[in-house]
Amino acid sequence: MSTAVLTHESPSHSGASPATCKFGMIIFLLSEGMLFSGLIAGYFVLRWAAVGFPWQPGAAWPSDPSLPHLPVFLTSINTIFLVSSSFTFHFGEVAVQKGKSGLWWLALTILLGATFVGIQAVEWMHLYHEGLWFNKGGIYGSSFFVITGFHGLHVFIGVLLITWCFLRQLLTRCFTPQRHPALANVALYWHFVDVVWIFLFVLLYWI
Amino acid sequence: MISTTTDSPFADQNGHSHARESFFRKYLWTYDHKMIGLQYFWTALFFLFIGGALALAVRYQLAMPGSVVPVIGRFLPQTIAVDGAIIPGGYNMLVTMHATIMVFFVVMPILIGAFGNFLIPLQIGAGDMAFPLLNELSYWLYVVSGFVILGAFFAPGGAPGTGWTAYAPLSAVASYNGTQVGQSLWGIAIFINGLSSIAGATNYVTTIVNLRAPGMSMFRMPLTVWSLFVTAILLIFAVPVLSAAAAMLFADLNLGTSFFKPAEGGQPLLWQHLFWFFGHPEVYIMILPAMGLTSEIIPVFSRKPIFGYKAMVYAMMAIGGLGFVVWGHHMFVSGMNLTLSAAFSLSTMVIAVPSAIKTFNWLGTVWRGSLEFTTPMCFALAFVSMFVIGGLSGIFMASTPVDLFVHHTYFIVAHIHYVLFGGSIFSVFAAIYFWFPKMFGRMLNESLGKLHFLLTFIFFNLTFFPMHNLGLGGMMRRIADPMVYQHLRQLQPLNQICTIGAMGLGLTMFVFLWNVIYSLRKGPKAPANPWHANTLEWTVPSPPGHGNFEKTPTVYHGAYEYSVPGIVEDYLPQNVPAPEHARLESH
Ligand code: HEM
Ligand SMILES: [Cu+2]
Repeated sequence: MSTAVLTHESPSHSGASPATCKFGMIIFLLSEGMLFSGLIAGYFVLRWAAVGFPWQPGAAWPSDPSLPHLPVFLTSINTIFLVSSSFTFHFGEVAVQKGKSGLWWLALTILLGATFVGIQAVEWMHLYHEGLWFNKGGIYGSSFFVITGFHGLHVFIGVLLITWCFLRQLLTRCFTPQRHPALANVALYWHFVDVVWIFLFVLLYWI
Repeated sequence: MISTTTDSPFADQNGHSHARESFFRKYLWTYDHKMIGLQYFWTALFFLFIGGALALAVRYQLAMPGSVVPVIGRFLPQTIAVDGAIIPGGYNMLVTMHATIMVFFVVMPILIGAFGNFLIPLQIGAGDMAFPLLNELSYWLYVVSGFVILGAFFAPGGAPGTGWTAYAPLSAVASYNGTQVGQSLWGIAIFINGLSSIAGATNYVTTIVNLRAPGMSMFRMPLTVWSLFVTAILLIFAVPVLSAAAAMLFADLNLGTSFFKPAEGGQPLLWQHLFWFFGHPEVYIMILPAMGLTSEIIPVFSRKPIFGYKAMVYAMMAIGGLGFVVWGHHMFVSGMNLTLSAAFSLSTMVIAVPSAIKTFNWLGTVWRGSLEFTTPMCFALAFVSMFVIGGLSGIFMASTPVDLFVHHTYFIVAHIHYVLFGGSIFSVFAAIYFWFPKMFGRMLNESLGKLHFLLTFIFFNLTFFPMHNLGLGGMMRRIADPMVYQHLRQLQPLNQICTIGAMGLGLTMFVFLWNVIYSLRKGPKAPANPWHANTLEWTVPSPPGHGNFEKTPTVYHGAYEYSVPGIVEDYLPQNVPAPEHARLESH
């Protein structure tokens, strides 16, 4: 932290270096992390106040047994899709670093991401018909839909961002092995959204 | 001895001249951090006048309950005032909108948006922020959130009336507050405003860490930059939590969720926890930059190095860190566990220690200096003394047994205003008088400035000091008519004194406004370094040209080398190497 990065030759208007962009993205993701922390903390406060800690006897959640169960199996498959999309994105980035286009990997990532959003939409619709929704099922429904909604929105934005990278690469081949900051930053974002999902999946579906 | 003192702003490094930039590209959609700073500056000043007008309406109602408000009354919507006389529900809307506007649309944008943007790149020797596009985006998000919050006035049912703290369940149940749309717009405005803050803060942290000029080590940075750095980190960690809470509130109001509705299993206390987890860091977000600006001004007009530079930096870090573990002091009467409440009392009192360190260091800087009582210096010294009063009342409230009695009284209102007006706003004025020459290339008028200072200082204390007595006398916050309470009738004269002070403050603002307008057109041209200060922004012309520095400067020492033994001049800019024999404060 002691010496500065600028040199006398640094032009003042050439845009941030890839390393600087990455740094900025990490700072931004920290605040995204706080957003989800706030939501998750709220979830736990509500749940603990209603039924007690998960390890206490009789802390069944949801407390009302007539509420529909979450489709754990389907969502596990969906989780596999999302997790593998992080890998395919990574392989795409590695391909670009090796001087290849990485287009196939990116397309696969978009497909997996879009599948995740699609399956989640199906799951929402299913739960809606079973009687669980934002305004049904009390705090159970409230927290489930708001939290997964926020996350789903992040995945959706991520899919759009990857598509944007894909199109740029397809049309202009703008990502070179040395310089592909947009791709690297979207990748960071995508991995972040992925990790958040793993937390949410464990907290909302399993515990 | 100053390296670049050319008078004409030079063309930027890309070679093309910007002489014929369109109005749109120059003033509305610009990537230049200085112009973005000015955009924030004017927008926040506009909101300052709106927020001030609302406050005057509040004060008028408290002094003369139920009578027609002159001038302002006519502009208030039907939901607030009927035929110019404020109705009780409308009174709640006024206080809510006043505080929301002042916190999110005046103090934060002017301290962080305006001065942060203008000063950070200049003071660290960079050509611009790391992400200029993001910077402009953050300004426009702020504007959009401003339209949303002002739109709440015209919503069916009226503006939100649940206080800037929007306590649930009042805020979360439409049938309780009667302002479903207004309260939802409040949530949306807070959310968008939060996006703007996060975008800005990301930019600041990245810029400060990555774009410092050669030689500008972290411990050579001016304290303003340090304060904005710590503030930006607080923003990154605190604001998203409020965004989450605002989203939940919005869902409760519009999607039928039950986060904060006790009747459906929700928890009103959850709102308080989420709000104050943000809210307390927020108050430091509003005071740290003010402390940073003050720390710049006091040494310049004392012609002495800042006392205890590193202690100042560590104190800011301590304040920032501790600020995250004290939020419970706003909730002592919420029925919280007494052991927990004792812990929050303790952590709150501990925070007073770094605050006191800063105060003593300012005093140490002034001590035996050759003081120049310019307008910025007057405001900066007033900042220190008013902050001490506000900090001291804070310590009273930090102790649970005392707070049980003063919570939700005017004592709190007095505290808030001593730290936020006497603190943050006084330092904003100090900073405006100090950096106006750099921002606009003209000097502000000193005599008008002194008048502005004197009147502000007198009327400020006239307005807010009696509120301590009102609070201890039992006057609650957010009541539309004190006269309906038997025990408050005897205090009515104090309420009227406060209102006289407030009107004086309002009128005084026009002295300031006149000074700004007059000096922009007729003020004497500002030299590059009118105050003989050391930081890098004073080494370039006023106002600085595109790209700031002709050549990235080299920094040789800290920012506070005033009256260095062994140097003829009593100042030594950061880009000027010290002669061999000089005894410097910094390394
Ligand atoms: C020595 C430092 C400080 C201490 C010990 C302190 C302590 C407190 C306490 C205990 C309360 C809660 C009182 C209650 O509601 O019963 C409070 C409220 C408040 N403080 Fe401070 N404070 C300090 C500095 C500041 C600063 C620097 C600011 C802002 C620039 C600030 C802004 C506020 C505000 C806005 C509230 C009222 C929130 C509300 O209920 O609307 N305080 N303070
Ligand atoms: Cu606090």
